[in-house]
Amino acid sequence: MRLLVEGLHAGYGGREVVSAVDLVAEPGSVTAIVGPNGCGKSTLLRCVARLHTPAAGRVTVDGADVWRRAPRHVARDLALLPQSPTAPEAITVAGLVAHGRHPHQGLFRQWSREDEAAAREALAATGVAELAGRRVDRLSGGQRQRCWLAMILAQDTPVVLLDEPTSALDLGHQVEVLSLIRKIARKRNRTVVMVVHDLAAAARYADRLIAMRDGRVAAEGAPADVLTSGLVKRLYGVEADILSAPGDGSPVVVARPDVDATTSSLSN
Amino acid sequence: MRPPDSLALRLGSRSVLLPKRATVVALSIVVLLLLATAASVAVGNGRTVGWRAVEALLGGQSPFARRTVFDYRLPRVIAGAAAGAALGLAGCLTQTLARNRLATPDLVGVGDGATVGVLVTVLGSATASIGAWWAGPLGAVGAAVLVVAVAGGLGTAGYRVLVVGLALSVTIDAFTDLVLARQPVDVARSVWGWTIGNLNARGYPNAWPVMLGLAVLIPLALPASRKLNVLRFGDDTAAALGVVPARWRLYALAVAVGLAGLAVGVGGPLAFVAMAAPILATRLAGAARVPVVTAALTGALLVVCADTLGRAFGPVEVPVGVLASLLGGPFLLWVLLSGKDSS
Repeated sequence: MRLLVEGLHAGYGGREVVSAVDLVAEPGSVTAIVGPNGCGKSTLLRCVARLHTPAAGRVTVDGADVWRRAPRHVARDLALLPQSPTAPEAITVAGLVAHGRHPHQGLFRQWSREDEAAAREALAATGVAELAGRRVDRLSGGQRQRCWLAMILAQDTPVVLLDEPTSALDLGHQVEVLSLIRKIARKRNRTVVMVVHDLAAAARYADRLIAMRDGRVAAEGAPADVLTSGLVKRLYGVEADILSAPGDGSPVVVARPDVDATTSSLSN
Repeated sequence: MRPPDSLALRLGSRSVLLPKRATVVALSIVVLLLLATAASVAVGNGRTVGWRAVEALLGGQSPFARRTVFDYRLPRVIAGAAAGAALGLAGCLTQTLARNRLATPDLVGVGDGATVGVLVTVLGSATASIGAWWAGPLGAVGAAVLVVAVAGGLGTAGYRVLVVGLALSVTIDAFTDLVLARQPVDVARSVWGWTIGNLNARGYPNAWPVMLGLAVLIPLALPASRKLNVLRFGDDTAAALGVVPARWRLYALAVAVGLAGLAVGVGGPLAFVAMAAPILATRLAGAARVPVVTAALTGALLVVCADTLGRAFGPVEVPVGVLASLLGGPFLLWVLLSGKDSS
């Protein structure tokens, strides 16, 4: 299903953080929202996920406005992995993943055959099936993040939103999780939208980049087209070189050292 | 794959997930509760004590013995069990809401509000000594509404509510003492007897309203427990799973206050049951989910046992509230000092 954001405005109190943002995300693709701290990217994602009420504008999934539907019904179309999710103490991996089925369940529909199948598949797809009986709080960061992805996958929604899914992971686990996210989008035809801090990772794994600055979309398109040294300068105020990765030609950002800072530290 | 610690029962399109350990624990407590009931009716004055009373409970012995057991002793046990179950369940809800083991309904002013309610009815009538059953619950609900209003809503962690509740309940407490101090001794004494938690002379007239209330509120607590399980993941994850946090917090608090208010109407503000029962239930049934049913059963068992113990020794009956405090104090210390479960 296609995710569409039209003319979205949002803020806190009187301060506007997101201004007139339009966004389209298509099934089978990964869209990455990047930008400096405080650019409004997280607020935008929260508005899409129904966690923050927009001041104006529309968010639609397959044409239906998410703010005009029952929360439980929206949760069958739209899943979110928050930035640093917390698991209740003592919960097992299978228990965690089972909670992803909540929007499909009821008081007398606590564990249907579909729940069973979806949870089993999610555990297998994320490679955590053998951890099913283990406690989540005793796993490593990378394993834990895969468990959360399994929970989101078990929710079985056409649209998947991720808020900085790799922020707490080392390079190896970053690659592992981002590859998994791309696989989910491609193989299962999900519409994936993620907020990412790391520009290089976003460029490498996303099909589309949406760069935000001061609450507005500064640039959007395929990473190779969008990512220029001019854009990096505009977003972060940093001089950078954009290289081409030897393997697939995806853009690599290399920041130039700040000349003034270097000389002043040498003179000390 | 289903949670490995549970059993899925299906009938057509309907399905129920039974956590194995919690189910075994709950059934065991039911057995213990039946044994405690037998022990409780076996304690008392006169000839119908011990094994005779148990036989009477099972339908044997003389009509007189059966009347003693069924008309005088059993109602008290049932009233105590109902109050205990209500308190255990209410405590379980508030502790989960506030994510704090020390957050009991007492802390949102339920006990003190109920005391004021009872005080008003006792002072307002010439004959009443323990007040009308509805006075406690009404006062409890009034106090809880006041606390939530002063706190400016429930907030995200329930923390404000707890602090405001603590401040208001101390104030109400002082006010109650002030009013009592100006009353004749006999009136003050009868109200005081109620404020420490007492099951003396509680019978079917006291038990029925609570039983009815429980029959309504326990089924209402079950859907809340499913949502509370999801709310433990934090507000963002819960909202993304379709659970509106503010709505379910208010719902669970309303059910908890209703339950605690009814319980107070029967036995007075029994200390520690609402705090201890859910903690014990979590230890017994495991921390993987909110132990709603186990907490209710544990609460019932605690009150029946404490009431039986209070009557078992010596000629003078020790009120169940005093005994609960006596056992609850060390229990609180144990909870606070025993590491990981204390938060």
